[in-house]
Amino acid sequence: MEGQWWADFVSAVLRAATPLVFCALGVLVCERAGILNIGVEGSMLAGALAAVLAAVSSGNPWMGVVAALGVGVAAGLVLALLTVYLPADQVATGIAFNLVCLGVTSFVYKLLVLGGVQLMAPALRAAHGPGGRVSPVALAAAVTPLTWIALLFVLLTWMFLFRTGPGLLWRSVGESARAAHAAGLNVFRVRSVALVAGSLLSALGGAALTLGWVPTFTDNMTMGRGFIALAAVYFGRWHPGLALLACLLFGAGEALAFRAQALGAGFNPYYYLMLPYVLTLVAVAAMGRAVGPRDAGKPYARG
Amino acid sequence: MRWSLALKKATVNKMLRAGWSSSATLAVASVVLSLAALCLCSYFAGASPLKVMLSLFEGALQGRYALTTTLSEWVAMTLSGLAVLIPYRAGFFNVGGQGQLEVGAVAAAAVTLSLTAPRPLVILLALLAAVAAGVLAVSVPLVLRLRRGASEVTTTIMMNFACIQFMYAMVTGPLKDPKSWYGTTPPVPAAYQLPSFPPGSGVPAGMWVAALIALAAWWLMNSTVFGLYLRAVGGNRTAAVAAGIPVDRVLTGSVLMGAALAGLAGGLELLGYTFRVAEGWSKSWGMVGIPIALLGGNPLGVLAVGLLFAILETGSRSMQALTGVPAALIYLFQGLPVIIYLGLRASAWYSRWTQAAR
Repeated sequence: MEGQWWADFVSAVLRAATPLVFCALGVLVCERAGILNIGVEGSMLAGALAAVLAAVSSGNPWMGVVAALGVGVAAGLVLALLTVYLPADQVATGIAFNLVCLGVTSFVYKLLVLGGVQLMAPALRAAHGPGGRVSPVALAAAVTPLTWIALLFVLLTWMFLFRTGPGLLWRSVGESARAAHAAGLNVFRVRSVALVAGSLLSALGGAALTLGWVPTFTDNMTMGRGFIALAAVYFGRWHPGLALLACLLFGAGEALAFRAQALGAGFNPYYYLMLPYVLTLVAVAAMGRAVGPRDAGKPYARG
Repeated sequence: MRWSLALKKATVNKMLRAGWSSSATLAVASVVLSLAALCLCSYFAGASPLKVMLSLFEGALQGRYALTTTLSEWVAMTLSGLAVLIPYRAGFFNVGGQGQLEVGAVAAAAVTLSLTAPRPLVILLALLAAVAAGVLAVSVPLVLRLRRGASEVTTTIMMNFACIQFMYAMVTGPLKDPKSWYGTTPPVPAAYQLPSFPPGSGVPAGMWVAALIALAAWWLMNSTVFGLYLRAVGGNRTAAVAAGIPVDRVLTGSVLMGAALAGLAGGLELLGYTFRVAEGWSKSWGMVGIPIALLGGNPLGVLAVGLLFAILETGSRSMQALTGVPAALIYLFQGLPVIIYLGLRASAWYSRWTQAAR
C-alpha cells in the first residue's frame, strides 16, 4: 500500500514536471542569449492546441508532437522579428503575444468543436502503469516517452551551453551583446536562433501537457505553467540541471496539492500551489545581482 | 519677456505636434488595424463582420444593464492601466497589477465582512485596506529591485501568481461563505455596497473615482515637478542622479502609487460590481492594464483605451450569443494592437517619419 502510493506519487511528479522542463529549457536558452522570453506561455498554449488537433486528425500522437514543433518554430520567428530585428520591448511584446495566443487558440478550438464535444486526442501512453514499487525500471516504463526526451534535452542543453564553443559564444551574447558584436558575432542571428529554439521547446511543453497528460484542449489550459517554468529558471540559477531540479520540486508541489485532501492534513492545497512563486522570490532575494545573464531583457540595436 | 514667451509657446506647439503625430497616431492606427483583423476573423467564423461589430457595440452600450456593466469594467481597466503607466514612466514595469488587484479585493472583502459601522466609514476603510494590500503586494518586488537589483518583471509575475493562490486560499478557507459549495466569500452586505451616482442612475460611483484619479494623474505627470522627475528617472537614470534628483524616492513613489491604484481597482470592483471574491471572480483586468497603458501612453489616453477595451469586453458576450463568434476572440484584440503598435514604433520607417516631423 505504502509502496503503491509512492510509485503513484513519483510518476505524477514526473508527469507534472515534464511540460515544465521543456518550457524551462525554452526560457533558459533564450535568457542565455539575452532574451527575456515572456511569450513562453503563449507558445506553450499554441503548441498544446496544435498537438491536440494534429493528433486527432491523424490518429497518431507523434504527428501532434511534429505539429507542435512547427507551431513553435513559427512563434519563434514572429517573436524574433519583433524583439530582435525591430527591436520592440521584449516584455511588452511577450505579454501581448500571450494574449494573442490565448485569443487565437480559444477561437480556433471553438470553431472546430462547434457541437461542444471535447476533442479527445490519442495520448502518448506509458508502457504500463506505475507498479507497486519505486524502482528505476518500473518508473522508466511508467512515464511517457516525452519525459525521457525532456531529460535528454536537459543534458543536451547543458552540454551545448557549457561544453561547446558555440555554446560559449551563445552565452556571451547573453552577457554582453555589445562585446559579442565587437568580437564579430552576429547578435541578431544568435538571438533569433535562440528564440526559435526556445519557442520550439515551449511548444513541446504544450504538447507534453496535452499528449502526455490531459489529452484534450481547454481555453487557457496552460494556466500559468509557462510562468512556473520561468520561475524554475530563476530558482535554478539559469543552469539546466538546477532548473530541472526546480521543475521536479514544483511538479511535486502540484502533485501534493492534488493529494492534499487524501493526505488528510486539513491543509489548504492552495498554499502548496503558492510555493513555487514564494520559493523563487526567496531565491531571487538571496542571490543578489550578478547571477543571471547580464544582458537578458535588453534590446540590442546596431550602432 | 515677450520673446521668451513666444519661444515657450513655439516649443509647446512643437511638442504637442510631435506628441500627436507620433504615438497617438500609431495607437489609433494599431487599434483600427486590429479591429480590421477582428472583422477578418469573424468573416472566417462565418459571420458578417458588420453584424459582429454592431453586436459588440450594441451589446456594450444598449440598455441600462449593459451600460452599467461596461462602466464598471471601465473602472478596473482605467485604474489597472494607470497602475502600469505611472511606474512605467519611471522605468519600473509593473506586471503585477493582477495580483495587487486580487489581494486588494480580498482585503476589502475582509473589512466589509468583519466590521459593523456606518456605511461611509466601512466603505472608506475597505478601500483603504484594498490600497494597503496592493502596496504590500508590490513591496516585495520593489525592495528586491532597489536592494538586490532584481528585475521587477519576473518578481511581479511571481507575486501575481502568489497573490492569486493566496486569494484562492482565502475564499476556500477563512473567508469562505459557509452556505456555498464552491470557494467564494459571502456577498458584501447590501449596506456596504457602493451606490450608483447620481443615485439610481446605474452609473457606478467607482467610475467617478477612476475618472478623477485619471485627471489627477494627468496633472501630476504633466504639470508637477514630480512628473518631470518621473520622466527624468525613467529616461536616463545616470543623468537624473547627476542632476540631484532623488532617484530611488521618485521610483518608490511611482511604484507605490501604481500598486495602490491596482489595489483600489480590486476594492471598487468588489464593492460596486461583483460583490463577491471567488474562484474566477475577476477578469484579467490587471494584465489587460498593460496593453491599455502602452496604447494609451498618458492618463487621458488610458481613459480612452480603457473605455474601448471595456466596451469590447462587455460586448463580446452578446457578440457570441448573436453571431456565434466565440467571445474569446476579444483576447486577440487585447494583444494584437500592442504588437502592431510596438512593431511600428520600433521600425526604421517610424524613426524616419519622426525625424522628418522635427
